Amino acid sequence: MTEDSQRNFRSVYYEKVGFRGVEEKKSLEILLKDDRLDIELRTFSQRFPLPSMYRALVWKVLLGILPPHHESHTQVMTYRKEQYSDVLHALRVVRFVSDATPQVEVYLRMYQLESGKLPRSPSFPLKPEDEVFVAIAKAMEEMVEDSVDCYWIIRCFVNQLNNKYRDSLPQLPKAFEQYLNLEDSRLLSHLKTCSAVSKLPYDLWFKRCFAGCLPESSLQRVWDKVVSGSCKILVFVAVEILLTFKIKVMALNSAEKITKFLENIPQDSSDAIVSKAIDLWHKHCGTPVHSA
Amino acid sequence: MAQQANIGELLSMLDSSVLSVRDDVTAVFKENLTADRGPMLVNTLVDYYLETNSQPVLQILTTLQEPHDKHLLDKMNEYVGKAASRLSTLSLLGHVIRLQPSWKHKLSQAPLLPSLLKCLKMDTDVIVLTTGVLVLITMLPMIPQSGKQHLHDFFDIFGRLSSWCLKKPGHVTEIYLVHLHASVYALFHRLYGMYPCNFVSFLRSHYSMKENLETFEEVVKPMMEHVRIHPELVTGSKDHELDPRRWKKLETHDVVIECAKISLDPTEASYEDGYSVSHQNSARFPHRSADVTTSPYVDTQNSYGIAASTPYCTSRLSSFSSPGQLPPTLSAPSTRPLTEPPQATFWSPSVVCGMTTPPTSPGNVPPDLSHPYSKVFGTTAGGKGTPLGTPATSPPPAPLCHSDDYVHISLPQATAVPPRKEERTDSARPCLQRQHHLPNDRGPEELSGSKGSVTLSDLQVFLGNLAFEEDSIEKDKEEAAISKELSEITTADAEPLVPRGGFDSPFYRDSLPGCPRKTHSAACGAQGASVNAEPLNSSLDKLGPDTPKQAFTPIDLPCGGAEGSPAGNRERQTSLQTSILTPSPCKIPPQKGAGFGSGQPPPYDHLFEVALPKTAHHFVSKKTEELLQKAKGHTAEDYRPCSSPVEVLDRLIQQGADAHSRELNKLSLPSKSVDWTHFGGSPPSDEIRSLRNQLLLLHNQLLYERFKRQQHAVRNRRLLRKVIRAAALEEHNAAMKDQLKLQEKDIQIWKVSLQREQARYSQLQEQRDTVVTQLHSQVRQLQHDREEFYNQSQELQTKLEDCRNMVAELRLQLKKANSKVCHTELLLSQVSQKLSNSESVQQHMEFLNRQLLVLGEVNELYLEQLQNKHSDTTKEVEMMKAAYRKELEKNRSHVLQQNQRLDTSQKRILELESHLAKKDHLLLEQKKYLEDVKLQARGQLQAAESRYEAQKRITQVFELEVLDLYSRLEKDGLLKKLEEEKTEAAEAAEERLDCCNDGCSDSVTGHSEEASGHNGEAKPPRPGIARGSSGSRGGGGSSSSSSELSTPEKPPSQRAGPFSSRWESAMGEPSSSIPATVGSLPSSKSFLGMKARELFRNKSESQCDEDGMTISSLPEALKTELGKDAGVEAKPALTVDGPHPSPPTPDSVGQLRIMDYNETHHEHS
Repeated sequence: MTEDSQRNFRSVYYEKVGFRGVEEKKSLEILLKDDRLDIELRTFSQRFPLPSMYRALVWKVLLGILPPHHESHTQVMTYRKEQYSDVLHALRVVRFVSDATPQVEVYLRMYQLESGKLPRSPSFPLKPEDEVFVAIAKAMEEMVEDSVDCYWIIRCFVNQLNNKYRDSLPQLPKAFEQYLNLEDSRLLSHLKTCSAVSKLPYDLWFKRCFAGCLPESSLQRVWDKVVSGSCKILVFVAVEILLTFKIKVMALNSAEKITKFLENIPQDSSDAIVSKAIDLWHKHCGTPVHSA
Repeated sequence: MAQQANIGELLSMLDSSVLSVRDDVTAVFKENLTADRGPMLVNTLVDYYLETNSQPVLQILTTLQEPHDKHLLDKMNEYVGKAASRLSTLSLLGHVIRLQPSWKHKLSQAPLLPSLLKCLKMDTDVIVLTTGVLVLITMLPMIPQSGKQHLHDFFDIFGRLSSWCLKKPGHVTEIYLVHLHASVYALFHRLYGMYPCNFVSFLRSHYSMKENLETFEEVVKPMMEHVRIHPELVTGSKDHELDPRRWKKLETHDVVIECAKISLDPTEASYEDGYSVSHQNSARFPHRSADVTTSPYVDTQNSYGIAASTPYCTSRLSSFSSPGQLPPTLSAPSTRPLTEPPQATFWSPSVVCGMTTPPTSPGNVPPDLSHPYSKVFGTTAGGKGTPLGTPATSPPPAPLCHSDDYVHISLPQATAVPPRKEERTDSARPCLQRQHHLPNDRGPEELSGSKGSVTLSDLQVFLGNLAFEEDSIEKDKEEAAISKELSEITTADAEPLVPRGGFDSPFYRDSLPGCPRKTHSAACGAQGASVNAEPLNSSLDKLGPDTPKQAFTPIDLPCGGAEGSPAGNRERQTSLQTSILTPSPCKIPPQKGAGFGSGQPPPYDHLFEVALPKTAHHFVSKKTEELLQKAKGHTAEDYRPCSSPVEVLDRLIQQGADAHSRELNKLSLPSKSVDWTHFGGSPPSDEIRSLRNQLLLLHNQLLYERFKRQQHAVRNRRLLRKVIRAAALEEHNAAMKDQLKLQEKDIQIWKVSLQREQARYSQLQEQRDTVVTQLHSQVRQLQHDREEFYNQSQELQTKLEDCRNMVAELRLQLKKANSKVCHTELLLSQVSQKLSNSESVQQHMEFLNRQLLVLGEVNELYLEQLQNKHSDTTKEVEMMKAAYRKELEKNRSHVLQQNQRLDTSQKRILELESHLAKKDHLLLEQKKYLEDVKLQARGQLQAAESRYEAQKRITQVFELEVLDLYSRLEKDGLLKKLEEEKTEAAEAAEERLDCCNDGCSDSVTGHSEEASGHNGEAKPPRPGIARGSSGSRGGGGSSSSSSELSTPEKPPSQRAGPFSSRWESAMGEPSSSIPATVGSLPSSKSFLGMKARELFRNKSESQCDEDGMTISSLPEALKTELGKDAGVEAKPALTVDGPHPSPPTPDSVGQLRIMDYNETHHEHS
C-alpha cells in the first residue's frame, strides 16, 4: 500500500497497544488525496472510526452525493445546492413549508416532493416511513451542520436504507437472535420465555438505525458502518445493548416492560456499547480487509 | 365395641388363677399386639394395669415391641400428668425401662422424659419423688446423650431433693426421707459419674449461695466423701461430657460401671479392673459385695436360717464331696497345669483355703504387705489340716479343662457362700472357732464356705491379674509366699482364726451386733485388732464398734440394721434415723428387714438373690442344685425350679405386702404399732399406710439395685469372655514357646552342620586355589604363546601388505602399459588413415600433376595462341580492367551508401517503435482519463439529472397546485353557475305561468337564455346550443320535450338540434360529460358570461328558496322535465368537479373556447 510508507511507522504499535484511531486522520487525508475515492474510503470507514471533521465529506462521497473525482465536487455541489434551493422554493410556493416550519419537516417535505409522495395537504397524518425519515433526520440534523449537506445525506441515507438494504433489513431480527444466542443463550431463553423476542423494538433498531435510541455522538459511529455498506452492525449494536443491560432485562419479566425499557435505554453507556458492538461485529464478521 | 368387650374379658381372664389360661390369654394379647398397630390395646392394657396392678399385664407391657412404644410412652406421659396415677405410672415406667427394651433410645425424645423431670421438680410426695428419682437414675445410663438438653433439669432436681432431705418440707415422715436420701445419693452418684464437669460446676454455683450452704454441709458434703476425683474433671470438659460421640461407645452397663468406678463406697465401687481402687480393697470387696447383697436378706435368713440352712449346707457339702472322691492332690495340680501352667500356682493350697487373694494380687502390693497375707494363708491352710483335700477336690468334679469351667465352679461355690454366712450368723460362728477341734464335722462345711468366698475373690484377682498381665511377678511372689506358708503351717496354730475372723468379720460383725452373738463379734473385733497391722483399711475401720464406721461405709449401717430380731432392728433404726448423716442405698435393708419380718418367702429364692450378683452363673448354681437334689434324692421344700428368682422375689414382696395388709390386725402389727407409736408417735392407721409406702419404696429401691446388679452381671459376662480369651492366648503363648524351643534345637543342629560345612568349604577352597594357581600359570604361558603368535601373524600381515602394495603397483603399471598400447593403436589407426589420405592425395596430386601437365601443355598452346594474339587484346583488356575497377569502386561506394542507409533506417525504426509505445501508453492514459472524465461527467450528469428530476417533481407539484387551484376555482364558478341557472329557470317559469301561450315561447326563450346563460343572448338558434351545452345528457330528451311544448318555435329548435348534435359529436371526443362543463367554463369567464352573472347575482341569494317554490308551481309535465334537467345537470357538474380535476386538456378547452367564440361571433353576425 502506498500510503503505508507515509503513515506513521508507530501506527502498528498504537494499534497493538490498543490506541485506535490515532493515525486514522492522517491516513484518511492520504486517502482523500486520491482522485478516485470511493472503494478505499468504504473499507476505511468500515475498519476505523472516522474523524468527525471528515465525516460529512466521506459520507457524501460514500452516499454518492459527491462523485469520486475532486474536480467535479464543486460543480456537483452547486447542482445539489441549487436543487435544494429549488425544491425548497417550490415547497414555499405551494405553501407546504414556511419559515416557521421546523427544519426536519422541511427535509421531510423535500424528500416527499422529490420522491413524488408529497401528500395533498401538509396536515395529512404522517405515514410510518415518514416517521422513520423524521427520526433519522432529527439525528442527522445534530450530526451535520450545513442544511444542504444534511438534507442530501438524509435523503441518500434513507434511499440507501430503502433500496440497498431493502432485502437485508427484514433478515436482521433473525440474525439478531442468532448472535444473541451465541453470545448469551440464557438471555435469549429468558426473552423467549417472556415471549419478548418478537416484541423487541426492531423498528427502532433496524428501520430507524437506532435514531432516537442512542445519542448522536455514538450513533454516528454506528452510521459510519451503515453508510459504508454494512447494515449488520445494527444487529450487533442491538445485541450489545441487550448484553449491557442484561441484568436489568433479566429482572424484567413481561415483554412489554422489556420493550419499554429497551426503547428508553439509559444514554450514559452508549459509547461503550457502540465500541463493544463494533468489536463484536469485527469478531463475528471479521475485520474488513483493505481492498488492496 | 365387641372387641372392646372382648379385651375386657380377656383382661379379666389374665388374672385367672389357672396358669394355662393365663398363658393362653397372654399369648392372645401378644398376637393382637403384633397384628394391631393402633394405640387402643396398649392404652387399655395400661389402664387395666393401673387399676389392678395385674402382673401378667405388667409382663405384657414390659415386653412391648417397637411400634407400640410410642403409645405406651404417650399413655404413661398422660398418666404422669395426673397426680393420682403418678406413682403407679412411675413404677410401671420403672418396670419397663429396667428391662431395657429395644426402643430405650427413644426415651430421650419421648415427651415422657420432660414430664417426668417436671414431676420431679414439682411433686411433693416423697414416695413419688423417690420412685421418680430411681426411675430417672435407671434411665440415665440408657440415654446419656439426652444430658445435653436436660442436664440442668437433672441438676435442679438434685438441688431440690437434696435440700428436701434436710429441710423436710411439710410433714414428711423421716422413714420416707431415708429413702429419698438414698435415692438422692444414687442420683448424686450417677450425675457425678456421668457429667462430672458440669455437675461440679453446678455444685459450685449452686452451693456457693448462702442459703444452700447448709444443705451442702449436711447433705452433699457427706456424699462427696464417697467419691474420688473423677478423671474427667482433669481431662474432660463440659462440652466433651455432653458430646454424643463419647456416649456412643458406651453401653448402658458400661455407663453404670463407669459411675461405679468413681465411688469410694465399697458397695458401689468397681473392683474388677483395678481402676484406681487399691488392691487391698479389690481383694476385700468381693466379700463385701456378697455381704451387701445378702444384708437385706439377712433378717429373713435369720428367721428361717436355722431351719433351712443345715440341710442345705449339708446337701451342698455332699454335692461337693460326692463328685470330689478323686484324689485331691492329683486332680488339682494335674488338671490345671495341663491347660494353664501359669495358673497352677493359683491352685496352691493357700488358694484353696481362700486366702490367696492378697498375695496373688498384682505387684502393686508391696512385698511387705504380701507377707502377712502369706501368713494368713499359712494359718488357714494349717488350720484346715486334713480337710485340705476335700476342697481341692471341688474343681475336678466338673470337666475342668477350661478356665470357663473353672469360673463355673467358683460360682456354685459363691452361691454357697450365703448359706455359709447364714450359718455363721446363726450358729456357725462357734463352729468357726471350733474349726480346728472339729475338722471332720464342720470342717468341710466351713471349707466350702470359705472356699466359696475365696473363689469369688480369687476370680476377681484372677481377672485383675489378667488385666494387668503381671502373672510372672505374681508367680514369684506367690511361690515365696507359699514356701513361707508351708514353713509356718505347723508353727502358727492359734493364728488362723485371727485373719479369718478379721477377714470375715466385716460382715459377720455387721450382721451380728444386735443379736446374741454380739459377744462373739466383740471377740472377732479383738481378733481383727491384730489384723489392724495389715493395710486393710475397711477391716480396720470395722474393728471398732459400729457407730464410728457409719459415716464412712454406708454398708455398715444396713448391716447393723440387718440384725435378726425385730427389737434390735428397731433400735438400730432409731439410731439410724437420728444419725442419717450418710446417705447410703444400704439403709433400705433395715426397713426391708422390718417389712419382711412377717413375710415367709421360700428360702431358696433369697439364696438365689444372694447369688445373683453373679447372675451369669445363676444357671450353673441351679444346675448344681439339681445335681444336689439328684444326689440326695429329695428336693428342697420350697424350691421352685421353673420361676426365676427375680420373679419370685417380686412375688414375695407383693405377697408380703398382701399378707401384711391382711394380717395387719392379727399378728405383728400390734407390737410394731406399739413400737412405732412409742418411737414415732404416729397412730397405727397412719402407721399402716406409712409401712405400705415404705414397702413400696423399698420395692423400688430393690428394683433399682437389682437393675444395677444386672448391669454388673452383663459386664461380668463380658469380662469373663475376656478372661477366656486371655487364657486361650496364654495357652497359645505356651505352645509358641515350645515351638520356640524346638526351633532353637533345630538351630543348634543347623549350626553344627554349618560348621562342618564351613570346614569342608575351606578345604574345597584350598583345592580350588591350587587349581586356580595352576590354571593361572597355564594361562600365562598360553598368553605368552598367543603373543608370539600374534607377533608372527603381524609380521605376516605386514608382509601381506607389502605384497598387496606390490600387486597394486604392478597393476598400475599394467594399466599404464595398456593405455599406452591403446594410445599407440589409436595413433596407428590415425597414421594409417593419414597414410591412406596421403596416398589418395598423392593420387590426386598425380592426377593434378597430370592435369597440370595437360594444362601446362594447353597453356603453352594458349600462350602460343596468345602470343599470337597478344598485341590487339592487351589494350582492350586494360580498358576493361579499368572499367571493371571503376565499376567495382562504384559498387563498393554504393554498398557503403546502402549500409549507411540501412543503419539510419534501422535507427529510425527504433525511434518510431519507442514513439509507438509512448503513444500506446498515452492512449491508455487518455482512455483512463476519458473514463475518469466520463465518470466525472456521469457524476455531474447524475447530479444534473437528479436536479432535473427534482425540477420535474417541482413542476409536477406546481402543476398539481395549479390544477388544484383551478379545480377549486371551477368548483366555485360551477356552483354559482348552477345557482344562476336555477334562478333563471324559475323566473322563466313564472313568466310562463303569467302569460299562457306567449309564455310558452317566452319560456322557451327563457329556457334557452337560462341554458345559454354563459353566452348571454337569447336568440332562436341559441337555445338549442345552449340546451345542448347545458343539458348534454338530457339534450335529446329536452329538445324533444321542448319541441312538444313550444310548437311555434319548432323549426329553429329543429334546426338547432342537428347543430347541437353535431357539436356534441365534436365534443364527444375528450370525455362524455366534462366537455360540456369545461366548455362552458371559459364561456362563463367570458365577458358575456360575466355580465350575465352580474345580472343574476342579486337573485342568487334567494335562489334556494325560490327553487323549490318555482318547481312546485310549474305545470306537471314541465315540472318533471325541469326537475329532471336540473337534477341531471347539477349532479354531473358536482361529481365531475371532485374526482377529475386534472384530465381536462388545454386543447379541448381551447377548442371549446374557440368554438364558443365562433358561435357567438357567428350568431352576432
